[in-house]
Amino acid sequence: MRKYLPLIISFLLLFPMTTLFGQHQFGNSRISGDFGFSGMYYMPDSLIGAEKVDSKVRANAFINLLYSNGGFSAGVRYEYYQFPLIDFEKIQYQGQGVRYFFADYKNKFIQVTAGNFYEQFGNGLALRAYEDRQLGIDNSLLGARVKVTPYKGITIKGVWGIERFNFESYLGRRDFVRGLDGEIALGELIPKMQEKGFTTNIGASFVSKFEKADEPINTSLYSGTSSICSAIIPSEKIPQNIPIWATRLNFGYKGFRFDAEFAQKMQDPNVSNDFIYKKGDALFLSATYSMKGFGVAASFIRSDNMDFRSQRMVSQNSWLGINNIPAINRQYSYQLISDYGFASQPNSQIGVQLQVNYKIPKKTKLGGKYGTDLTFNFSRFHNTDQQPVALALEYGTPTGTEGYTSSFFKFGPDLLYQDIGLEISHRFTKSWKWTLAYNFISYNLEILQGHEGMMRGHLVASDLQWKITSKHALHLDLQHLYTKDDDGSHIYGMLEYSISPKWFISIGDDWNYGNPDPSRRLHYFNIAGAFVWNTTRIALNFGKTKEGILCIGGVCRAVPASYGVGLSITTSF
Amino acid sequence: MKKRILSILCVLAFCLPVIAQNDDTKPQHLAKIPAIDIQTLDGQVFNTANIQNDGKPIIISLWATWCRPCINELMAIADEYEEWVEETGVKLYAISIDDSKTSARVAPFVNGRGWEYTVLLDVNSDFKRAMNVNDVPYLCILNGNGEIVWQHTSYAAGGEEEVYEIIKKMVGK
Repeated sequence: MRKYLPLIISFLLLFPMTTLFGQHQFGNSRISGDFGFSGMYYMPDSLIGAEKVDSKVRANAFINLLYSNGGFSAGVRYEYYQFPLIDFEKIQYQGQGVRYFFADYKNKFIQVTAGNFYEQFGNGLALRAYEDRQLGIDNSLLGARVKVTPYKGITIKGVWGIERFNFESYLGRRDFVRGLDGEIALGELIPKMQEKGFTTNIGASFVSKFEKADEPINTSLYSGTSSICSAIIPSEKIPQNIPIWATRLNFGYKGFRFDAEFAQKMQDPNVSNDFIYKKGDALFLSATYSMKGFGVAASFIRSDNMDFRSQRMVSQNSWLGINNIPAINRQYSYQLISDYGFASQPNSQIGVQLQVNYKIPKKTKLGGKYGTDLTFNFSRFHNTDQQPVALALEYGTPTGTEGYTSSFFKFGPDLLYQDIGLEISHRFTKSWKWTLAYNFISYNLEILQGHEGMMRGHLVASDLQWKITSKHALHLDLQHLYTKDDDGSHIYGMLEYSISPKWFISIGDDWNYGNPDPSRRLHYFNIAGAFVWNTTRIALNFGKTKEGILCIGGVCRAVPASYGVGLSITTSF
Repeated sequence: MKKRILSILCVLAFCLPVIAQNDDTKPQHLAKIPAIDIQTLDGQVFNTANIQNDGKPIIISLWATWCRPCINELMAIADEYEEWVEETGVKLYAISIDDSKTSARVAPFVNGRGWEYTVLLDVNSDFKRAMNVNDVPYLCILNGNGEIVWQHTSYAAGGEEEVYEIIKKMVGK
């Protein structure tokens, strides 16, 4: 029982606070918060590969409390992940305690934050401290941040902090991050520009990571290095300070906008790049144009050797990332291609993304009474072109050398991901709405998942909504993925009935009918219900989850097969 | 095992009264939205304290281009929005939590659909965090003084009608 004492005490302390102060304002003071709980009872299922879990009942829970009064605010989050859901256990997001607290003061000229904070410089190529709770990512910095606005249109930010690493202690850490960022909004400085409708911002960042290096690294323990001659890197050859800088520009005029950012990282031998001494770089370009009823967006990204973490021996996706190289492909929420979501490859990717939106106007022959929305999408990503340097060939390993050379705009030999898609959305009457989508996806299983080969698949998805009365609605989601690769074709159906705004109930099944192994042509059913009351949502579900990959915004993590009953509660107050 | 269930129950037990006090009939000191720096579609800094509508009601929707129910909700409102504005003078701020992966595509996405909302970008979820929002879609209604009078998470078809009822009541229609 003693083990649970801190938990119980914390809750007993927090609990009356929330009831007393929740959603209340006293004069200028305001206290608010939110709470999330996600629990599961696991059952073994040998067919789908859901293993017997050592503790069947698991839960993730957290509570946030915020206090604010004028320019002052403070907050604290308590997390309870002592017996987390098995996918969080896999990435070692396990423990309990306060890992987020801050105090912040701001006025017109200055903002000062002490404690944990999230921050992003530009597009995040040099620094991005952020959280994604579903993926178990929280890389807030513990330290201090100062943001100054000395003159209208000029912003300068400075940060210093130690990055959060799951529930590990901050004590005894031998690494920290510091950074400086400046941005000038020319439109604010030159009123004439603004009057004419031009906006131009320029910015630059400088970030540096320090990590003590007082011991040699035996690289053969970490990489696939076979050569003995370069396996040990002496400590004096390991850089302790690793700078990264970035510069950016954005320009807008009427419906047009252009964004560019370039970043370069200095020598950073680490486990993800086989301990090479090459500099890393990334370029992100984006141009968009839109007017009423029409929009087009094109972007380009290249990143090479840009994996940048607080600790050189860490390569797990969700751990200690300092920067964030965006995966710019279109993000889909279709169940059947969720396993084939593209994960950003900071060490080697070059690619383009193009999206066109068009609305066939209302009250036309094709548009009907409500208009028809069309979305076209194309994206294609390769690895970067990498030619090993002579020394690497001589040693038989890149470790300890410059690694490779890479011509900047050349696409590498391997296709990582391609998506060609069209989506049509039309409302027939006030009560009937239909969305139909087709996608052709190519996904490199070998590089992105470590299996062999390439997955090429055709997805057809239909989403039909019938509003029966003003509050009652049916929603039918049908998807078919046709492929001869990986575990073959799938068909998926989900029927949801909702009574607005409080009740949802759904039943769904994903059938892997095309699995090359007839004994693995399995069904993954799911029954779910949810109750929503203002900002509180309680959801219950029962079913099977396929072993796969969960990707949110180009960051992915493995999800083990599971079978069981889940309960989730979120609320804010 | 028992201890584990006990501890999880303990977590739940503490959450229930939180839900219970989430009662909209209780007279409350209404809260204003926090003042957070976010961005306009052309990349300029916008402080959320400047969200206003000349004393008329305001809707704030937190959404993302990858969130299907969010888009369904905003599309459903878009079909009625002209009438809502005419009748009540309401103004909708659609604040996207798309980050740098997809934020550049928010403007073409919104314009391509012909939405008439004021669209803002919360690229590192600072506003979402300050609003204690767990998941999108999230929608709240502010009165003429900028105070939160109603909030809701998730979307079911028809949910927009309740939103309109509340706004009509606020302007006395």
